[in-house]
Amino acid sequence: MMGENKNQETTAENPADVLLQQLLHLKRYEIPDTHRMVKNKQNIMRLVRESSSRKRWSLSDLIEVNIPWFFAEPRYGIAALFIVFAGLQFVGVNSQRQAAHNKMGIYTSDQGLASLDASMAASTNRFTYPKIPNNLQLFASPSGGDGTIRPVGLREQSQ
Amino acid sequence: MVGDVNLDAEDDLPEEEEDLLPEEVPEEDASPQDTELVLKAQRGDVHAFDELVERYHGKIYGLTYNMTSNREDAEDLTQEVFVKAFEALPRFQGKSSFYTWIYRIAVNKTINYRKKRNRKRALSLDQFDQEIKMDGSYHDLTSKGSPLRNISLSELQIKLNEALQNLSEKHRTVVVMHDMQGIPHEDIAKVVGASVGTVRSRLFYARRQMQAELSEFMK
Repeated sequence: MMGENKNQETTAENPADVLLQQLLHLKRYEIPDTHRMVKNKQNIMRLVRESSSRKRWSLSDLIEVNIPWFFAEPRYGIAALFIVFAGLQFVGVNSQRQAAHNKMGIYTSDQGLASLDASMAASTNRFTYPKIPNNLQLFASPSGGDGTIRPVGLREQSQ
Repeated sequence: MVGDVNLDAEDDLPEEEEDLLPEEVPEEDASPQDTELVLKAQRGDVHAFDELVERYHGKIYGLTYNMTSNREDAEDLTQEVFVKAFEALPRFQGKSSFYTWIYRIAVNKTINYRKKRNRKRALSLDQFDQEIKMDGSYHDLTSKGSPLRNISLSELQIKLNEALQNLSEKHRTVVVMHDMQGIPHEDIAKVVGASVGTVRSRLFYARRQMQAELSEFMK
C-alpha cells in the first residue's frame, strides 16, 4: 500500500511539466525536407565508397575481421600468443644446438698475425711487441698456381 | 514557478521521477539483421552498410538536428557520423548493439562539433508537418484555457529551440534522446556512459531549466 501511495505521489504531474512535455512533443513534427534527406543519404553512400576504395587494410584490421574470436575472447588470444612464443623459443634453442655441433662459418687463425707474446709479457711484467720489418709487405706477388694473391703473415716476413 | 536551477547539484536529485511520456518506447534495434549487416560491412560490403544508413539515417539526423537546431549542421554531422562509423567498423566488436554504438559516435561528434564552434549558431529549422494540427497536444496548447493560445506556431518553435540550445550539452543530449526520440533511460545511459540515475537527474534538471526559459509563455 505504501508503495502504491509513493508511486501515486511521484507520478502526479505538475501542469508545467505537462505543458513542457506537450511542447517537446510538438518538436517531433519538425520534418526534414525529403529531397535534402535523399541527397544527404546519397552523399553518405558516395563518401563511404570513396573511403572504401582508398582504404588500405592493415594487418590488424585483417586479423580483426577474419579471426574475431582472437579479440572477442582475450584468453584465446593470450593462449595463441603463448603458443607462438613457445614455438619461437623451441626453434631458437634448436638452431643454437645445431650451430654448436656443426662447424660452419668463417674461422680465422691467428697464425702469421702480429700479436703480443702473452707468456713473455707475464714473465717480464712488460709488454714485448713483435719486431716489425721496415718494409712491411701485406701481400705476396702471385707465383705459379692459379695466380691468387696471398696475404703475407708478419712472422713469415720476420723469419 | 520554476526559478534558477543549480545544474551542478545533479547527484543529490531524487531518482524517483517518472517518465511523462510512457508511450515512447523505442523499437529494439539490436536485431540479428543488424548484426548480419555489420558483419558484411566489416568485410567490405558497402551495400550492407547502405542498408544500415537507410535504417538509422532518420534517427541520427533527428538527434543531430535537435542537438544543434540547425539543419545544415545536422546534415553535415549526419554525414560525418556515418563515414566515421564506416571507417571504425573493423574495430566494432559487437559488445554493444550497432544502434548504441552509432548513437555514441553521433553524440560525441555533435558535442565536439559545437565545442569547436564556440559561438552559438543561428537557428535553421525544419518546417512543421501539417499533421501537427491533428495532434492532441497541439489542440491542448492552442485551446482557450492554454497560456500559449496567443502564440503563433513559428514563434513557439523558435522559443522552444532557443530554450533547448541554452541547455548544456549533457542536459540537451538526454532531453533530445528521451523526450524527443523516446529512448529509454537504460539505453541513454549506455550511450552517454553514465548511470541510469545520472540520466534521470540530468533529465529532471534539463526540464526544470527549460521550464524556467519558457516561463514567460507558461504563465
